[in-house]
Amino acid sequence: MGEEKGKKGGGFLKAVKEFVYGIAAHDSARFALKTRASMEHLFILITMGDMLGVPILPPYYSLRLLPYVVPQISTWKRRMLKEKDLTDALA
Amino acid sequence: MNSVVVLVLGLLVAYFGYRLYALRIDRRVIQSDPKRATPAKMYMDGVEFMPTSRNILFGYQFKSIAGAGPILGPIIALQWGWLPALVWILLGTLFIGWVQDYASAMVAMRKEGASMGGLSHKLISPRARLILLAFIYFYLLLIAGAFGNVVVSTAIGLKGSPMAWLFLTAAGLLAGQMIYRWRTDIILTTVVTVVLALIGIWVGSVAPSDKIIGPDLANSRWLWAIAAFVFCYFAAVLPIWRFALPINYVAAYIVFLGLFFGLIGVVILHPSFTLPAYSSFTIKIGPIWPIMFVTVACGAISGWHSLVSSSGTARQLENERDALPVGGGVMFVEMMLAIFALIIAGTLYAAPSEYAEAIAKGPGGVFAAGVAKFLGAIGLPTDVGRSYGSVMMIFLAITIMQLVVRFMRIATSELLSDISPVFRNPHVGTFIASLLGIFLVMTGWWQYLWILFGGANQLMASLALMIITAWLMSEGKPATWSLLPTIFMFVTTVAALLYTSYNLLDKVLKGAVKGEAAAGNTVIGVIGFFLVVAALVLAYEGLKAFGRYRALRVAEASARA
Repeated sequence: MGEEKGKKGGGFLKAVKEFVYGIAAHDSARFALKTRASMEHLFILITMGDMLGVPILPPYYSLRLLPYVVPQISTWKRRMLKEKDLTDALA
Repeated sequence: MNSVVVLVLGLLVAYFGYRLYALRIDRRVIQSDPKRATPAKMYMDGVEFMPTSRNILFGYQFKSIAGAGPILGPIIALQWGWLPALVWILLGTLFIGWVQDYASAMVAMRKEGASMGGLSHKLISPRARLILLAFIYFYLLLIAGAFGNVVVSTAIGLKGSPMAWLFLTAAGLLAGQMIYRWRTDIILTTVVTVVLALIGIWVGSVAPSDKIIGPDLANSRWLWAIAAFVFCYFAAVLPIWRFALPINYVAAYIVFLGLFFGLIGVVILHPSFTLPAYSSFTIKIGPIWPIMFVTVACGAISGWHSLVSSSGTARQLENERDALPVGGGVMFVEMMLAIFALIIAGTLYAAPSEYAEAIAKGPGGVFAAGVAKFLGAIGLPTDVGRSYGSVMMIFLAITIMQLVVRFMRIATSELLSDISPVFRNPHVGTFIASLLGIFLVMTGWWQYLWILFGGANQLMASLALMIITAWLMSEGKPATWSLLPTIFMFVTTVAALLYTSYNLLDKVLKGAVKGEAAAGNTVIGVIGFFLVVAALVLAYEGLKAFGRYRALRVAEASARA
């Protein structure tokens, strides 16, 4: 019973903390991620562009970098091929 | 009537509206499914599509939609009396506002996280997308003009605000440096920068702008208009972590602490309304219908919310069941914010003449005086309270303005770079947006600018509702609950825009206004007419889409038979 109360109290505090984070900092975190993502996308495009039919670097270097890029390839392709819209910039 | 009664009435509408109406629509009509994978999960990229807790999204959505709109609309609408404004805030939110906010997020989620442009393309027609984007550009320009005017009138009317504005900007820049360069602890950064901003508010109250730069400069509209748009210029062209984000971060604490303690002040003082419940059907800016319905914009319904719900929130919801508390629930909270603003202004002045005198100078002064009164209930001196209210007002307006200018920069580049590569330069797009904004601020009368902004905002809402209705019809779901608000909002906002644009251009043609006012009236009037034409074309495209979906349903029914 006491534990349940403690959980409820903790849950409420957690909710308040998340709400304040949402108001003050969530936007900042999203934009920081967006900035990092655009830099990484550019880097992957330069090194792995031939995956999308844009050969830029000689395959030797691409192969050397491949192990570092592998974890990001699926999300990179998803973002590169996603339909873009101007209103995306609003939020 | 006592203000606490109004607050309780608002809470009752929010509670029963949510439990009895919104929840029913969510469960029975939309049939939200907690097991269905949302775009945040399906297309997770760790950036835009990312499953996020609903508590975080609640704060994010509230912060994104609670700008100057829900506060200033009710303050201006008091000119018709507080009762019509209150009724519209309550009924507008109950039957239209939450419907749009929630359903925009839901449709975007069911359509793989598409934003409003993409949704109009998929559900209405390819042409609808292009027209919608042009519409949004001019709608945002009107936001820049209307909110710019609020910043200028506040900086002139409340001489403590420029110093507080300057300190808060410096505190924000320091926050950016501490977080991203010095890697300082976030709690320490927050405490240092918020305290610095609070010191600035106090300094503003003892060092008003007229004592520092002289009365001529302190009262110069040009100076504050340029200052506001230079601020937005930096926000649009500098790296977002360097300027816009950290300033918004510090401002968020100042604004929401002010609102929170202001609300406590209302409960402590619980004053009664001193202004009349109803003044007259027609006032200087127009009749109750349709003008009041666009004057109280975001507190009842706002097209801006549909953009935030679809482009931002829908891509982060981890569960379909979260769309209602985040989309719909936050709209009910925004309704309470509008009621708070109505109470602030409606209980502040002893007589209608005092209010008329104050509102003639701009709504920012009314809000700041109200904040000073209610923060006074918890012990803050009036001068400091007024300085606090003024900087709240400036940042409620300018945080949206900087986003708008940034968007207009991107839109200029996207739409015009085929004509000339010079438009790809970010400074060109930002300069054009800033110049247009300054022009509107310097030439337009703020009440007309506000109405046109409200009209464009509500028209955007009706277009979002039209897209929602098209989706409901395409899915074979009941659509009356969305179609009726669409029709009401469309007719009302088109009437408001036509009425105001006609008045503006009529004054020019009859020679009643001259010089810069004539230029301002002409441009604003023409923008108003353009928005109406764009909306009519979109409505025509929407009607064709409705016909297509109806025919599809009939064909399906006959095939089953």
